[in-house]
Amino acid sequence: MRKYRWQAPLTLVFIVLGIFLSLQYQSQNLIGSDLSMQRTENLIAMVRGLSEKRQKLALEIVDLNMHFNSQQNSYLDESKLAENLISDMNKMSFLTGSTTLNGAGLIITIGQSMPILYIDIIDIVNELWAAGAEAITINEVRINGQSVIFYTEDDYSMYITINNTRLEFPVVIKALGEPNNLEKGLTLPGGIIDTLALFKAYPILEKSNSLTMPPVFNQPSHIFLSEYKPPEQTAATEPAKTP
Amino acid sequence: MRKWIVPLTIVCLITGFLLAFQLKALTDASSVNPMSQKNNNLISIIQNLEQEITGQENQVEKIRQELDTLQQNQQAPGKLNEMQEQLRDMRLWAGLTPVVGNGVIITVDDNKEGLKAKPNDDPNRYIVHYEHILSLVSELKRGGAEAISVNGQRLITTSEIRCVGNVILVNTTRIAPPFEIRAIGSPHNLAEMVTNGELEVMKATNYPISFQAENEVIIPAYKGELQFDLSQVAKED
Repeated sequence: MRKYRWQAPLTLVFIVLGIFLSLQYQSQNLIGSDLSMQRTENLIAMVRGLSEKRQKLALEIVDLNMHFNSQQNSYLDESKLAENLISDMNKMSFLTGSTTLNGAGLIITIGQSMPILYIDIIDIVNELWAAGAEAITINEVRINGQSVIFYTEDDYSMYITINNTRLEFPVVIKALGEPNNLEKGLTLPGGIIDTLALFKAYPILEKSNSLTMPPVFNQPSHIFLSEYKPPEQTAATEPAKTP
Repeated sequence: MRKWIVPLTIVCLITGFLLAFQLKALTDASSVNPMSQKNNNLISIIQNLEQEITGQENQVEKIRQELDTLQQNQQAPGKLNEMQEQLRDMRLWAGLTPVVGNGVIITVDDNKEGLKAKPNDDPNRYIVHYEHILSLVSELKRGGAEAISVNGQRLITTSEIRCVGNVILVNTTRIAPPFEIRAIGSPHNLAEMVTNGELEVMKATNYPISFQAENEVIIPAYKGELQFDLSQVAKED
């Protein structure tokens, strides 16, 4: 019997090994985009974002209802109708960029010698919108949904372009919005400023109480797009695709 | 008598190695614990909020439509009529109107096959990241896209495309793979930009992709909020 004394410990070791193996397999399968695979802090961030969105939507519904009532009651009252139209157009102008805007915000300056790619500019703009920016300009060019941030190259080097015009350094990006939120959106750990620092680019951030954003130069003309009128007036005909 | 020492040492070594590996996998996905009660609570909060937001968005869409119809029906006199036309045009560009036209439909999905084949590889190399979508969208804009949507979320000026963890958000709305990007514009120009760019890169790294030019691409209106209260429209003189 003495010969088999190692059997018990070895069995035990194999059982433990088996458990670890299966655990290992499980943890490998647990990484994905499903909610149950996310870290607690990310889930908290999502809750925060959604709560904020719900609050803003509630305000929007109040606004729209007021607007609807006012429109209904001002039938044939020309000045009231004009007032409504102007307030509507002002709201739209935030998206089309067709008016001059004033407000507080953040100025980001990227100096001459910093290694910046067009995708970094896109990233900064993207993060600023996410942080609640209401308007953005890059070197005094107002950004709207149709703005094109890209690059072009000649024999010597590559240039960043905004609406097909070469972007000159220093690049000054201005954003209207709550200055602290805008700054936080860029400087949060692992955020765009951290990423740029890895490439030895250190944009300078500066809060400002009064910024003026010029309007876009010209409204584009639409060639391919036209308003879609659903055959039946039901929302179900729209190709909405949400998870 | 000491015959068992060698096999046991080997087994212990293997166990130790696996233990260390296990620990590493755990720190990689630190605090990812799907069984955690706290996470489950957070997930149900998220799902409730999402449901509520969908209701709100439908309401917003409905009132906007009614308002639009009302404005059209109120036969406004001369100058007001002109302003109304202008407003309709602005809405079209801003993304508040559902639109239709020539364009393309791109779909990209996680490389599930690739991950299955190499389960020990970093899964981040197989899932679609927000950077992929952001690049595709930028290229579509460069190709002259007049309207773009991602999984039914219309992109407007202030839309952001980003991620929290591995979840991609557009207009703060969670979207899941497969991702469908629709764009209206010249199919030829749009195709030229993406197929020489990000889409080609994704194809080369074995992501399942598809690209289709279509005559009638329908893109829904933006259904979210438009609360701009921090800045003021400058008075025109």
